[in-house]
Amino acid sequence: MKRSLKWSNIYLWLVFIILYAPILYLSYYSFNSGGSMHGFEGFTLEWYKEVFADTRLLIILLNTLVIALFASVISTILGVIGAIAIHHVRKRSNQSTLLSLNNVLIVSPDVIIGASFLILFTMIGIKLGFASVLISHIAFSVPIVVIMVLPRLEEMSPTLLDAARDLGATEWDVLTKVMLPFIKSGIFAGFFMALTYSLDDFAVTFFVTGNGFTTLSVEIYSRARQGVSLSINALSTLIFVFTMLLVVGYYFLNRRSRGQVSGRTGSGKEWGLANK
Amino acid sequence: MNQLMRMTVLVVLLAFALMYGASALNSSQGYSGANTLTIYNWGDYIDPELITEFEKESGLKVIYSTFDSNEAMMTKIEQGGTTFDISVPSEYAISKMKEENLLLPIDKSKLPNLKYIDPKYMNLSFDPNNEYSIPYFWGTVGIVYNPELVKGIEFKSWDDLWNPSLHNQILLVDGAREVIGFGLNSLHYSLNDTNEEHLQQAKNKLKELTPNVKAIVGDEIKLLLANEEAAVGVVWSGDAAEIIDENDKLTYVVPEEGSNLWFDNIVIPKTAKNVEGAHKFINFMLDPEHAAQNAEYVGYATPNKKALELLPEDISGDKRFYPSPEVTAKLEVYRNLGKRMLSHYNDLFLEFKMHRK
Repeated sequence: MKRSLKWSNIYLWLVFIILYAPILYLSYYSFNSGGSMHGFEGFTLEWYKEVFADTRLLIILLNTLVIALFASVISTILGVIGAIAIHHVRKRSNQSTLLSLNNVLIVSPDVIIGASFLILFTMIGIKLGFASVLISHIAFSVPIVVIMVLPRLEEMSPTLLDAARDLGATEWDVLTKVMLPFIKSGIFAGFFMALTYSLDDFAVTFFVTGNGFTTLSVEIYSRARQGVSLSINALSTLIFVFTMLLVVGYYFLNRRSRGQVSGRTGSGKEWGLANK
Repeated sequence: MNQLMRMTVLVVLLAFALMYGASALNSSQGYSGANTLTIYNWGDYIDPELITEFEKESGLKVIYSTFDSNEAMMTKIEQGGTTFDISVPSEYAISKMKEENLLLPIDKSKLPNLKYIDPKYMNLSFDPNNEYSIPYFWGTVGIVYNPELVKGIEFKSWDDLWNPSLHNQILLVDGAREVIGFGLNSLHYSLNDTNEEHLQQAKNKLKELTPNVKAIVGDEIKLLLANEEAAVGVVWSGDAAEIIDENDKLTYVVPEEGSNLWFDNIVIPKTAKNVEGAHKFINFMLDPEHAAQNAEYVGYATPNKKALELLPEDISGDKRFYPSPEVTAKLEVYRNLGKRMLSHYNDLFLEFKMHRK
């Protein structure tokens, strides 16, 4: 028993090393004064300075974050409504049809989605730029939120809602005081998935950018044609650190709120478990 | 619910704050206002200082976007959702865009600096009389090689690629015109040859090259050659300049039988809103000092005669990128061969690719 535990630990470490090595390698060279990824010559912060001096790149970075935040908030709201709606469909076969339609959108290739959006925007005459990118990012994030929220809804016992109604809760109370708190973790997971999807999407964005509005992925791709400068390494390192901070922040936030919940008596979560 | 509301408000506020930051940065750059010029160019294909200078000189605000392939650029312009005022396609893309009416004619009376362009780069087959395009940069197709790894071969001729000692050592760009082109060149035929017999000969000759070919690759060819993954590569001169920049052991030659001469030209797409500003910009880039500065930054060869005189000797005297008149006399520009011939070229190239090993 002890032996197998050790092996699994080694395996886990190996997986993590493989996952993190490329990012660390890239970050390591962002400090290289040599100017290329061929050999480390000496420590420098020159590339970081270059990132902050390149206003165009900073604007693109801010655009990328703005799009990601708006797209994930809006798609989370739409996705939660969608998930609740699918959950409330009575007939089992209808429900699974809706769910498969949702899943088709997740697995369909980005190029197809991007090209279809390009055709759509051209047809109805939407100018390519901020709006077109935002709309398409919302569109491909909604199905992901639905898929993250739905399992939590399935876990929720219907008797929980019945009990709330019996105790005199209005439908609005049921939604805001029972249902949403119960599926909160699913909502957060959906939000963060949508955020990362939007941040790194290249294929869809590539088709729908225009009028001087680009996101980071598209910009880095067109720069890579001429060989990626180490300032891109520096920028990637900064974004990686930023995401790490976000995840750590989320972790602590989650722990604190969980502590509050278990401190209270009769919270929805325990009820749900007790009813199972 | 409260927590959800709080988080939502927080995220939306953050998004608005970032948006404000972006627009503040934008206006500090002067991107707002109606008097703008939108440029659509290859990535890293202009000295950014020149854009700042142009903005100061003309009072126009420049919105700068980049693309990575002629095809992607054409799609965007055809789609018409964006008002690009300037673009820089390669010669074959220009003839295609002309056919599809995607370009506006250029008013040469507004370009006094046009006189600095070397006449031999004007009035070429892809755009007679330069009605729609003005030369920006030019280059060749040739052989990049690592003298340490090829044991004394100097690649004076395309035939040197067939040297048996190069087994599994050559990388080729993934372009039908380029590969079939040097096949034809090695037989002393024209790059634009449409004679079926000549094409078959070229194909058969290329078939014999297959043991030497390591891979047919795209843009990653630069990285592979710079990292010495292969000894020899057939590439465009612009790529060669970058490879040599990365790894100065390598060198570049244009074989004596002749090769392709390519051009990237400035055009005004039909989506342009600021045609006046576009002409101003073209004239600005034609100024010898600006053209020289740009050529020094980008590393490609400038067609601007006066600018060439202003460039330092070690750039303008580099025979590899500014070949001597004897070599340039043998260079050929791709002619638009028409859809049928082009797909025949593609088929031959495909056959060559399938015969590998």
